[in-house]
Amino acid sequence: MDWFYIQGILILAGINLLAVLGLSLLTGFTGLFSFGHAGFMAIGAYTTAIMSVKLHLPFIPSLMIGGLIAALVSLLIGKLTLNLKGDYFCIATLGLGEAIRLILDNVQYLGGARGWPGIPLKTTLLNVVIIDIIGIIILVNLIRSKHGRNMIAIREEEMASQIIGINVFRYKMISLMISAIYAGVAGGMLGHYLGFLQPKMFQIVKSTELTIIVIFGGLGSISGSVLGALVLTSLPEMLRTFAQWRLVVYGIAVIFIMISRPQGLMGGHEFSFHAVKKIISSMFYRKKQRGLGGR
Amino acid sequence: MKKRIMYFMFSVVMIVSLIAAGCTPKGTPDTGQKAGEPEVVKVGWIGSLTGDQAVWGQCELNTVKMMFEEINAKGGLLGKKVEVIGYDTRGDATEAVNAVKRLTSQDKVIAIIGPNASGQAIAISSVLEEMKVPDIATVATNPKVTVVDGKVKPFNFRVCFIDPYQGAVAAGYAADVLGFKKAAILYDVADDYSQGLTEFFEKYFIEKGGQIVAKEAFKSGDVDFRPQLSKIKESNPEVIFMPYFFKEVALSANQARELGINAVFMGGDGWPSDVLIEMAKDAIEGSYIVNHLDFNDPEVQDFKAAYKAKYNKSVELNGYLAYDAVKLLEAAVNKANSLDPVAIRDALETASVKGITGQINISKETHNPEGKDAAIIKMVNGEYVFQQKYSAK
Amino acid sequence: MAGFMQQIINGLSIGSVYALMAVGYSLVYSIMNFSNFAHGGVIMIGAYIGFFLLAAYKMPFYVAFALAGAGAGLLALIIERVAYSPLRKRKAPFLYFIISAMGASIFLENIVIATIGPTFKTYPKVFSTQPITVGSLSVGRLDLIMFVISAISLAILIFVIEKTKIGMAIRGTAYSVRASALMGVNTDHVIMIVFGLGGLLGGIAGMLFGMKYTVYPQIGFITIKSFIAAVFGGLGSLPGAVIGSVLLGIIETLTSGYLSSQFRDLIAFALLIVVLIVRPMGLMGKFTEDKA
Repeated sequence: MDWFYIQGILILAGINLLAVLGLSLLTGFTGLFSFGHAGFMAIGAYTTAIMSVKLHLPFIPSLMIGGLIAALVSLLIGKLTLNLKGDYFCIATLGLGEAIRLILDNVQYLGGARGWPGIPLKTTLLNVVIIDIIGIIILVNLIRSKHGRNMIAIREEEMASQIIGINVFRYKMISLMISAIYAGVAGGMLGHYLGFLQPKMFQIVKSTELTIIVIFGGLGSISGSVLGALVLTSLPEMLRTFAQWRLVVYGIAVIFIMISRPQGLMGGHEFSFHAVKKIISSMFYRKKQRGLGGR
Repeated sequence: MKKRIMYFMFSVVMIVSLIAAGCTPKGTPDTGQKAGEPEVVKVGWIGSLTGDQAVWGQCELNTVKMMFEEINAKGGLLGKKVEVIGYDTRGDATEAVNAVKRLTSQDKVIAIIGPNASGQAIAISSVLEEMKVPDIATVATNPKVTVVDGKVKPFNFRVCFIDPYQGAVAAGYAADVLGFKKAAILYDVADDYSQGLTEFFEKYFIEKGGQIVAKEAFKSGDVDFRPQLSKIKESNPEVIFMPYFFKEVALSANQARELGINAVFMGGDGWPSDVLIEMAKDAIEGSYIVNHLDFNDPEVQDFKAAYKAKYNKSVELNGYLAYDAVKLLEAAVNKANSLDPVAIRDALETASVKGITGQINISKETHNPEGKDAAIIKMVNGEYVFQQKYSAK
Repeated sequence: MAGFMQQIINGLSIGSVYALMAVGYSLVYSIMNFSNFAHGGVIMIGAYIGFFLLAAYKMPFYVAFALAGAGAGLLALIIERVAYSPLRKRKAPFLYFIISAMGASIFLENIVIATIGPTFKTYPKVFSTQPITVGSLSVGRLDLIMFVISAISLAILIFVIEKTKIGMAIRGTAYSVRASALMGVNTDHVIMIVFGLGGLLGGIAGMLFGMKYTVYPQIGFITIKSFIAAVFGGLGSLPGAVIGSVLLGIIETLTSGYLSSQFRDLIAFALLIVVLIVRPMGLMGKFTEDKA
C-alpha cells in the first residue's frame, strides 16, 4: 500500500469522523435520528468556501464560520421540528437535507449543480488530526459533564427526564446544534480537501452513510465512532477490486453486523483494557450486556 | 455460545479476506499476460460501475479493455503489454479522488481514461497534478474540466466537445437551419450536464433572435414530467430542448405526446442509445440530436460489430469516446516514444489522431479537441439518420 | 381552467403510484414502529419479476401480475427473517432495524446492477398507450388502469384488515404487541403476514410502476417520496397513507405548474414540515410512544 493513497483515505476518514462525532452525540447520546446531516455538511462546506475564496479569510476562521452558520440553521430547524417523535423527526431532517441541496443546485453564484471548482487545497492530514482530537476532547468532556448525563437520560427515558426537571427540548436543541457544528466543519474540510464542491456530494446517501458509521461503531460510544469511521471509510476502498460487486458486499456486511452485533463494535462502552477483556469474554460467555443494545 | 464463536470467527475471516483482497494490487488482470512477463504497463480507468450512471461507465470500461486487448495482440504500447485497471466511483467526486490516488500511487498507471462526468473530472485534477499523471476524460463536457479561471489544467485532457459548443450548435441549428423562433426548455436542475447545456442553449438562442417561452425543471430521479409539460404546452413552443439522458428523454417524450404536444424535440449527446428507440420510437420521430458522430458512418461499423460480438450488447455513446480516448493515448505514447507519464502529457498537448468521432487535434491552450464538428442527427422511422456536420460560429 | 384540470389529473395519477407504495410502508410501520427502507428494494424486485415474466416468458398479464406480487411478498418475508427477526428477538431499538433495512436496500439495488445490469428495461406493451382525450384534457389509459388496480387492491387490503380474523390479529398487534401475545395471538406469524402483505402490495406497485415508467435498479429512490407521503398522512394509518399520497401528488403537480418547478421539492418539504408542526403525527397518524 502506498502512503499517498493511505494518507488520502485517512484524511477522508478524519473528515467523516468529525461529522460522525457530531452525529454520535445526537443519535448515540441523545437518541435522535437524523437523515439531514449531509445538509449541514453542505452548509458548512459552501460557507467555508465562500469565506476563504470570495472573502479571502484564512482557513481556520473560515471553518469556524462554516460551523457557526450550520449551527444557526440547525437552531432554526430544531425549533420547528425537535418536538416530533422518531420517524417524524427523521423525515423532517431528510426534507431539510434535500431542501438545502435543491437550493444549492439553483444558486448559480456558487456554481449551481455544475459545481464549484478551484477551492484552495488547505486540508492536510495534520490539521485533520488536530481538529479531530480537539473535537474528541470537547465531546468527551461534554458527555462526562452534567449536560452529557442529562442527554443520556433523555435518550433512555424522555418522559422520566422531563418529570425530574430536565429541559428536554433545550437539551435536544443543544445536541442538534453541536452536531451541526461538527458536520459543518467537516463539510468545510471536505471542500478544501477535494478543491471542488458540488451539491451532488451531499445526497441522502451521505447522511445515511454517517448514520451507519455511528451505529456500526456502537451507539453511545465515542471510541466506537472513531473506530467505525476508520473501518467504514476504508472498507469500500478495500473492496475496490470487487468492481460492481462492491456495494453488494457492503450491503451484506451492514446487515451482518446489525444481526450479529447490534450494539455495534463498542456497544456503548469506551475503549479501555477492561472493556477489551469484557468484549472478549462476552464472545465466549453469554452475559447480560448493559447499554442500549442489550436492553 | 457456539453461535457467538462462529459469528466471531466468521467476521475475522471476512475482515482478513477483505484486507487481503484490498491490499494485493491485482486490479483486473484480463489482458492475457502470462507469468514471467514483467514487461507490463498499466493504464487506469475510472467511472461509474454502480449508481445511476452505470450504463455508460460499464460500456466505457468494456471498450477500454477491448481496445487494449487489440493493442496487446498487435504488440502492445512500445512493445509492452498493457494491463487495464478499472475502478468504480459510484458517480461520486470523493470516490473518484480516492480511486485516482490509488491508481497513481499504488498501481502506478501511466495515464488514466475517464471519468464520464464533469464533477469527478474536476475533482481529480489536484491529485493528477500532484502525482503528475495525465487523464483523458471521455464525456466530461463542462469547460472547467480543463480550464479554470483562464488557466489550463496541466494534466487534464478530453476528447469530447464542451457544453458551450454543444449548446451553441443546438441553438444555432434550431434558429438558423430549422428557423424556429419559440423554444421551451425542460431540464434537470440537479444535474451538472443538464444545467450546462441549458445555460448555453438559452444564451445562444436568444442571441440568434429567438425567444424562450418556457423553462421548466425536474430533479434527477423523477419519472413523471406531465406537470412541467402541461405548463410548457400552454406556452405553445415550436421546439422543446431536452438536455438530459435517454431514460428521462424517453419518458418525457412519451408523456409530452400523450398530452398532445406536437412541438419538435431537440436534444444533446445524452440521447443516443438503442434503448431510447425501443422505449419511445413514435414519440421522438422527427427529433433532432446534437451528437459526436454519425452512427452509420462506414468507419464506425467495425467497432460496433466487434463490441457487439464480444459483449453481446449494443455500444452506448460513451463507448465511442472511450475508443477515441484510447486512440489519443496510443498516439501520444507513440509520439513521445516513452511510457513516462510526464512525457505522455507533453505529447498529449499537441497530439492529434483520427478518431471515430472525427479528427481530434488537442489544443495546447485549452486541452480540448479543437474544431471538432458536431453531427446533427434526425430521428426518422426509428433510425438515427445523419443530417449534416454543423459547427457553431 | 383546462390547464388546471389537466394538472389535477396529473397529480391524481402520480399520487396513486405513491399510494400503493406508501401503504406497504404504513402497514409495516403500524406493527413494527419503524420505517422499512428495504421496501423500495422489494418494489424494484417486483418490477423486475413482472418484466421478466412478461418479456422473456411471454406470460399473460394476469399471471405475471400475480407472480410479481407473490415473488415480492416472498422476498419481503425473507428480508424479515434474515434482517429483522434476529433484531426482534434481541428487542433492539428501532434504529438498528432502520440500518438493517438500509443494508438490505443497498444490497438489493446493487445485486441487480451486478447481475441483470444497470440498463433500464422497457415493459412489453400490454395496454394501448393511446390516451383518452376529452376536449383538451388527456388521461393515459395506463393511468386509469393503475388507478383502478390501486383502488381494488387497497379495498381488498382494508377489507382483510377490518373484517377478517387475521385482520383483527393485525390490528390487535398494531395496538400492542405484548397484549396481543398475551391474548394468544401468535405475533410472530402476524408480523410475517404483515411483511408478506406489504411485499405483495409492493410487488404490484413495482409492476405497475415498471409498466408506466420502465424498470431500473434505482426505483427504490422514488419510494422516498412515498415514504414522505406516508409520513404526511400519518405513519401506521392506511387511509392516511392513501390520502397523504394523493395530496402529495397534487401538491407537487400544482407547485410545478403554478409556482416553480425548480423549487418544487423545497415547497413540498416546507409544506410537510408545516403539516407536522400543526399535526405532529401526520394527518391521520396513530399516537404511539417511541419504542426506542
